[in-house]
Amino acid sequence: MNPTQERAIEKLLEKVEKPARYTGGEMNTQVRPWDEAELHFAFCFADTYEIGMSYLGMKILVSLINSLPYMSCERVFMPWVDFRAGLKAEHLPLFSLESRKALSEFDVIGFSLQYEMSYTNILDMLDLGGVPVRAADRGEDAPIVFAGGPCACNPEPLAAFFDAFQIGDGEEMMVEFLDTLRECRRQGLNKNDTLLRLSQIEGVYVPRFYQPEYNDDGTLSAFRRTDERAPETVRRRILKDFSNAFYPDTFPVPYTDIVFDRIVLEIMRGCTRGCRFCQAGMIYRPVRERSMERIIALAEQLEKATGYEEMSLSSLSSGDYSCLKELIVALMDRFQDKRVSVSLPSMRVDNLVKQSLEELSRVRKSGLTVAVEAGTQRLRDVINKGVTEEDVIRSVSDAFDSGYSTVKLYFMTGLPTETDEDLRGIGDLARKVVAAYYAVPKERRAKGLRVTCSASVFVPKPFTPFQWAAQDTIETVMEKQGRLREYLKTKGVTFNWHDSELSFLEACISRGDRRIGEVIYTAWQDGCMLDGWSEHFKYDTWLKAFEKCGLDPAFYANRERSYDELLPWAFIDMGVTQRYLQLENERAKQAKTTRDCRKGCNGCGLQRYEGLCNV
Amino acid sequence: MKMWLIMEKGARIRFIGHLDLMRTMQRALRRSGLPVRYSNGFNPHMLLNAAAPLSLGMPGLREVIEVPVGGDIAPEAFQERLNEALPPDLRCRAVRALPDEHPAPMAMLRAAQYLIELDGDDPGAAVCMSALPGMLAVDVLPAVRKTKTGEKPCDVRPMIYSAEILGPRTICATLALCEAGTLKPDLFLTVLARRAGVEKPGAFITRMQLYAMQDGALTRLEEA
Repeated sequence: MNPTQERAIEKLLEKVEKPARYTGGEMNTQVRPWDEAELHFAFCFADTYEIGMSYLGMKILVSLINSLPYMSCERVFMPWVDFRAGLKAEHLPLFSLESRKALSEFDVIGFSLQYEMSYTNILDMLDLGGVPVRAADRGEDAPIVFAGGPCACNPEPLAAFFDAFQIGDGEEMMVEFLDTLRECRRQGLNKNDTLLRLSQIEGVYVPRFYQPEYNDDGTLSAFRRTDERAPETVRRRILKDFSNAFYPDTFPVPYTDIVFDRIVLEIMRGCTRGCRFCQAGMIYRPVRERSMERIIALAEQLEKATGYEEMSLSSLSSGDYSCLKELIVALMDRFQDKRVSVSLPSMRVDNLVKQSLEELSRVRKSGLTVAVEAGTQRLRDVINKGVTEEDVIRSVSDAFDSGYSTVKLYFMTGLPTETDEDLRGIGDLARKVVAAYYAVPKERRAKGLRVTCSASVFVPKPFTPFQWAAQDTIETVMEKQGRLREYLKTKGVTFNWHDSELSFLEACISRGDRRIGEVIYTAWQDGCMLDGWSEHFKYDTWLKAFEKCGLDPAFYANRERSYDELLPWAFIDMGVTQRYLQLENERAKQAKTTRDCRKGCNGCGLQRYEGLCNV
Repeated sequence: MKMWLIMEKGARIRFIGHLDLMRTMQRALRRSGLPVRYSNGFNPHMLLNAAAPLSLGMPGLREVIEVPVGGDIAPEAFQERLNEALPPDLRCRAVRALPDEHPAPMAMLRAAQYLIELDGDDPGAAVCMSALPGMLAVDVLPAVRKTKTGEKPCDVRPMIYSAEILGPRTICATLALCEAGTLKPDLFLTVLARRAGVEKPGAFITRMQLYAMQDGALTRLEEA
């Protein structure tokens, strides 16, 4: 930025809400001086600072990239509307927090894809940063723009905007990607040859080397390579030695409040439970644990480096960590004098032991959250959520008995085969939870019972057994939510539900093909962005965008696919096979559960990788 | 024993609010491992005491923050270890060891010195600069102060200890800052602009120094 621009930024900061979102300088965020790095990486998060800074993947990767001696990695977040308007009015580019460089000045721009409804933000950030939004419009000198993260497992809706995608675990792939890019730069390779070289890295997908074809009914007829040197199937990258893989030994410590402001220790990746709606449970297989010794060592380093008073153990299902109790006790013993509390999100109630609750409450009490997902045992069997009503009641009773009075219950509506009985079941369960509270003697229980029931709308996702399923129409969803409201009219129970229109669009995009990219582009051009923030969500503009592109959103969201249909993400080998997903879908229809694969291999496909799956 | 930390809050972090800054200080002190004393309560916390919160958007060069300490440690060592644990835009410039009986910085604070740099491209800036001597020559300067309970008319002249012209658009003003009466530099500028007959110009304001009153004279708070 030149001095005039710098002054304009300072003036703008004085006028906006939460200016500290844009000023950087936080503890542990100092990077190499700009001129001392060979390649500059802009790590972009397509949502606000508070959201992005709470995301563990970003902490891992930014730290990893900055550990490479030739790299410098800076952060860029989606500006809030006021700052964005100011940037536009003053003709200022979107810039990085560390060195205040425009996005267009970087060599590489990486986006983390966490949520479909943040895709318009990606286009907006590129545009604000002075980078042509479409990959085809970016010349030889433009930055390489790529993306990774969970939503990259169906990259097609964003194929027009990105030069490449990283699919799978990033810790090793990122290093290979950047090493290769640096090598290509040194050899003076052009963009096409560079991307071809990158496409040879396991896990990397370069959309320009593939072309979809469609049938008259709109389904895919073929997905062909335009360059035979690109791999026919893109194999998801899987980290073999998770325990010893790169993990930051410092965390940035924001000055202002962010959503998760604490040390996060990823104790395990993957999950063996096999819930059929859960994309994370499928795409992060196999389950891999980090050793207790490593976790404790990281905890000590991170506590020293940050001064945080809270650490949480993170994974998809922390209760399944094989020596959880020993780990908690060890962490408590080590940090109690320093007044550091340990929290444990993602606990399943079927293995939640009273003792671990008591261990946790040695320092601080928080609420209990239980993901029940469905209201009846039948539907829980359909989705293979191996949780029973007894599990739920036992764990909330234990919690009430140990002095908790706040319980959150998470459900989904619109799951395959759902009936009125399943909705009534949610109400019944909520009442049983209330009864469990009153069953605890008055002098033992804490005052102020609060049971919150949250119902999200089921969104079928790629690489799950329900990837073929139709989502309920908006009308059905709203009607069901109305019924649920009735069924949950109980003293002490609060009911929250998700926006059905947002979930509908999420369903359209998550299983979208390459044509959806035009819808995203059109919606953004017509003013859509920050869609995940209800005050900025413009449903009608989205519908018009579909219309303008000649596409029917119901085709993507509400249509059941046949097993013969070529799915837009079929060219990716995620580890779990399509055959296994079909098998699971058939078992779901019969309400047959599948065992936790730690109890025996179910043949999901990961067994094809020698020595990878040790369960 | 307690320590007075003389802190510089840099321009980059001028938008960090007071509570966020205090939390940043607490975390830095935790990281440093310095023998800071905690409150005795159900939820023990660090007893940090700032002389006066900085307005949002204003850097401060010699802010005073008091922290009680438990162990025996030299001020120089304290400063060094604290600086190692602080982010680069927040610096500890000096540390002074004091007995617990010494009054709290907030209780001694009477005034602050501000560097007011008017925007160069603001047409009202030059007019304001030339109106300054005239303003200081009067005995009464009526103004309206916004307080929590509403707008209050007041005379701000006694709250201006001094105001000097340092450059073509730079004023150095020492203004009252205490419970009995505070004149914020922003209101000072409003009054000046009104007398000059122009819109209040944009300005970058830095708090340079805090003062106590000793023997009828302003003395640097950090030394008082």
